[in-house]
Amino acid sequence: MITDLFLSGIVVWLAGAVASLALWRQPAVARRVGCSAALAGSLLDLAASAAVLFSGSTTVIGLPFGNPAFTWAIRLDPLSAYFNVTLAVLAAAVSLYSFGYLREMEGRRNLGAFGFFLNLLLPSLALVFTASNAFFFLVAWEVMALASFFLIIFEHEKEKTRKAGMLFLIMSHAGTGLLLIAFLVLASASGSLDFSSFHLLASRITPLQQGTVFLLFLFGFGVKAGLVPVHIWLPEAHPVAPSNVSALMSGIVIKTGIYGMARVFFDFYGPPPLWMGTVVLGLGVASALLGVLYALMEHDLKRLLAWHSIENIGIILMGFGAALMFRSLGQSNLAALALIAALYHTFNHAIFKGLLFLGAGSVVQATHTRNMEKMGGLIRLMPVTALCFLLGAVAISGLPPLNGFVSEWLTYQALLAGFGTTQSLTRLMFPIAGSLLALTAALAAACFVKAFAIPFLALPRSEEAAEARECSLPMRAGMAVLAVGCIALGLGATWFVPVFDSITQQTLGVRASAALVTAHGLALTAGTGHGTVQGGTISTAGMALFFLLAGAAFALPLALRWRRRSVIGPVWDCGLPGLTADNEYTATAFSKPLRMIFSALYRPRREIQAEYEVSPHYPSAIRFESEIERTFEKRLYGPLRERIMAAANRMKGIQAGSINLYLAYIFITLILLLLFGVRG
Amino acid sequence: MRPFLDMQFGERIVTLMAALVLVLQIAMVAQRWIVVHIRIFAAQSFFLAMIAATIAWYNHAPHLYIAAALTLVVKVTLVPLLFERLVKRMEIHEEIEPIVNVPLSVVIAGGLTLVGYVVAESFYRPEEPGLGHNALAVAISLFLIGFFTMINRRKALTQVLALLSLENGLFLAAISLTYGMPLIVELGIFFDVLVAAMVLGILVYRIRESFASMDVSRLRRLRG
Repeated sequence: MITDLFLSGIVVWLAGAVASLALWRQPAVARRVGCSAALAGSLLDLAASAAVLFSGSTTVIGLPFGNPAFTWAIRLDPLSAYFNVTLAVLAAAVSLYSFGYLREMEGRRNLGAFGFFLNLLLPSLALVFTASNAFFFLVAWEVMALASFFLIIFEHEKEKTRKAGMLFLIMSHAGTGLLLIAFLVLASASGSLDFSSFHLLASRITPLQQGTVFLLFLFGFGVKAGLVPVHIWLPEAHPVAPSNVSALMSGIVIKTGIYGMARVFFDFYGPPPLWMGTVVLGLGVASALLGVLYALMEHDLKRLLAWHSIENIGIILMGFGAALMFRSLGQSNLAALALIAALYHTFNHAIFKGLLFLGAGSVVQATHTRNMEKMGGLIRLMPVTALCFLLGAVAISGLPPLNGFVSEWLTYQALLAGFGTTQSLTRLMFPIAGSLLALTAALAAACFVKAFAIPFLALPRSEEAAEARECSLPMRAGMAVLAVGCIALGLGATWFVPVFDSITQQTLGVRASAALVTAHGLALTAGTGHGTVQGGTISTAGMALFFLLAGAAFALPLALRWRRRSVIGPVWDCGLPGLTADNEYTATAFSKPLRMIFSALYRPRREIQAEYEVSPHYPSAIRFESEIERTFEKRLYGPLRERIMAAANRMKGIQAGSINLYLAYIFITLILLLLFGVRG
Repeated sequence: MRPFLDMQFGERIVTLMAALVLVLQIAMVAQRWIVVHIRIFAAQSFFLAMIAATIAWYNHAPHLYIAAALTLVVKVTLVPLLFERLVKRMEIHEEIEPIVNVPLSVVIAGGLTLVGYVVAESFYRPEEPGLGHNALAVAISLFLIGFFTMINRRKALTQVLALLSLENGLFLAAISLTYGMPLIVELGIFFDVLVAAMVLGILVYRIRESFASMDVSRLRRLRG
């Protein structure tokens, strides 16, 4: 049953891919076929993986081809199923949205190709999450990377797009290279490429190999996830892709890195050495903080969201890191709490970041710009989009009672509880990470005040923004699905947490939800203290109720007295004749205080040119330019690229361009190898 | 004594023909005329087909007959015909100008034969009866000499011929070691050879069209 559902989902996707490519000459048909197949496949996948997740069982599917070394084995265990549910929910919403989003492109772009790569990306993602053979996994992984690449460069006539796509491809392949080495090390230890033979294997190899494999996996998967310092492709590639692709990229494609880490850290490894968790936690903190700090300086709406993906990956990794540390310290229950926090946040991020990118897509399509400084006043022109974007913004800022709050709160609780688990100095890591998480969340909230207020409030800052229209019905429907998801995952947290039982059972051997859910299923609690720290308790449903009541208590008297007391007058304009959009607070100005505080990181450069005719007190035009330093590109990747180019130039000598010479190289190598083989 | 059932006799036949194949390979290294080169290749392929048929007979491996027949059709007939027509149609200068001169080339070919025997020695298992010992050494030598010939030629057409004789070496290795791979693999290889010959034939023609020469060193211009 589950097997049939899952496989038919894959088949529907692949059939949709072929069909929409075949129909590329009829854009309207290709669009409908491509999006319908994506939607149908997602729903089938959702049904299959939800069944696995709720039953807690494991389904193994063997495909009837392949050979003993490279089996095409599919294994739907709770962890795989969880990521598949994430994929399916997001993909269903995005497919719905794409019905409307792609209509604008009809006749201008090859929608058949789009449908093909979209319907190739989705099954490859499903297979990445379920493949249980290293070879099969890498095949699915590469198909996913290539499909993503072609979707990113869909608007390939712009040079910037092609460059971003190439950067993605290079980084992605470098990451795959690391993964390949890591898998081969494991395979040589186990004598098989099957994941089942890797179970707890990584803890049986020598400590040096253990550490090496760990770092290879961390950075190999980290490239895809957007881990600092291998994150640089993300803020380039996400903005240039079509917005529905950005939503998928940010929502689920980067999560394949998270899935890979979960699989490796909690399936291949037994309780790891403490330093591994410390490294993951540290990199998570760095990613979260740097992600949000760079997001604050960004005025390109989609780039801003891309930086926030890095931030959220950081938060997820903080949960992972804490879980690994607790596992080393023998605290299974706390490890389960931290793992739940990380996985919960993974799902939440897929939902709200998908929602935000879809909202940004509607805005960009309506205003034809990604620059926030040219938007404004959209809440009146695009009310539904504005409401959805606002819900997404509240969720990502970690404000109660939406879903982002729940998972970030769980992460805090895990981190704070960690202080009491050990007497060594390492325990200081936990409160430090916790306070930096708090800083991150506060900065994210500040950032989304900007990201919502500048585009949606006040007056339009450009003609395009003034002429914006609300997006089409399918697009609104796609966003609404995710917005409802944000609310449901927030208010229904206590009903959602038991889902993780089968995952924690599988990975850590404990079922944590009974201890987490309290007050007859109405509140979450982080337990009654571990060592010196008392766990907290929250109830999102209760908070929602409180907000409703408080809002009603505030609004009711106002509504009753509205007609009698209030007078609507003009905004005070300092005596100037009429306020225009030029008087508005800009995004640059909004973020200025933070630019000053963190100037050591940003190293801002600004330039002001004023033109005046009569007196310097009355300038006729002012040009202001501000820029921050791209630290990683300049200090890490710049020198690296120069080294590689220098090495390549040195290698150029042997590339004489003569076929005979090339043949001679091969020949000499061959003879040496033969003789070597004979001797050995 | 019934020679047609005696394994020993069969091994002698195979060894004899393998020696002939090797001699023809060295003759190819020394050959200066393209048309003769093509015909030597055809003759070599013919003996190879005979070896396959002999092994098929003595080892009761009927599918090797098919391989032998295919060799006759493809390598003895089709490919040489194709190439001779190509040579005539392009009216090329029919003399081969090797990079290393002929006497030295032959000495190198001799040295490579030695390497072939040294390498094959390590595969030799005296306790296992079989036809293959000498044939494997010859096969490796064919492969190495074919490779060397490829390096030693300037024109694309002659390089293709060398590649095909290299492939003959692989074929000989396959039949002498395993008495034939599964038939499907062999069919695939023959299809490969045919396609390769055609593609390379077309490519050779194109190189000539674009560079007014078949000299592959002109391709150097493509370098970035």
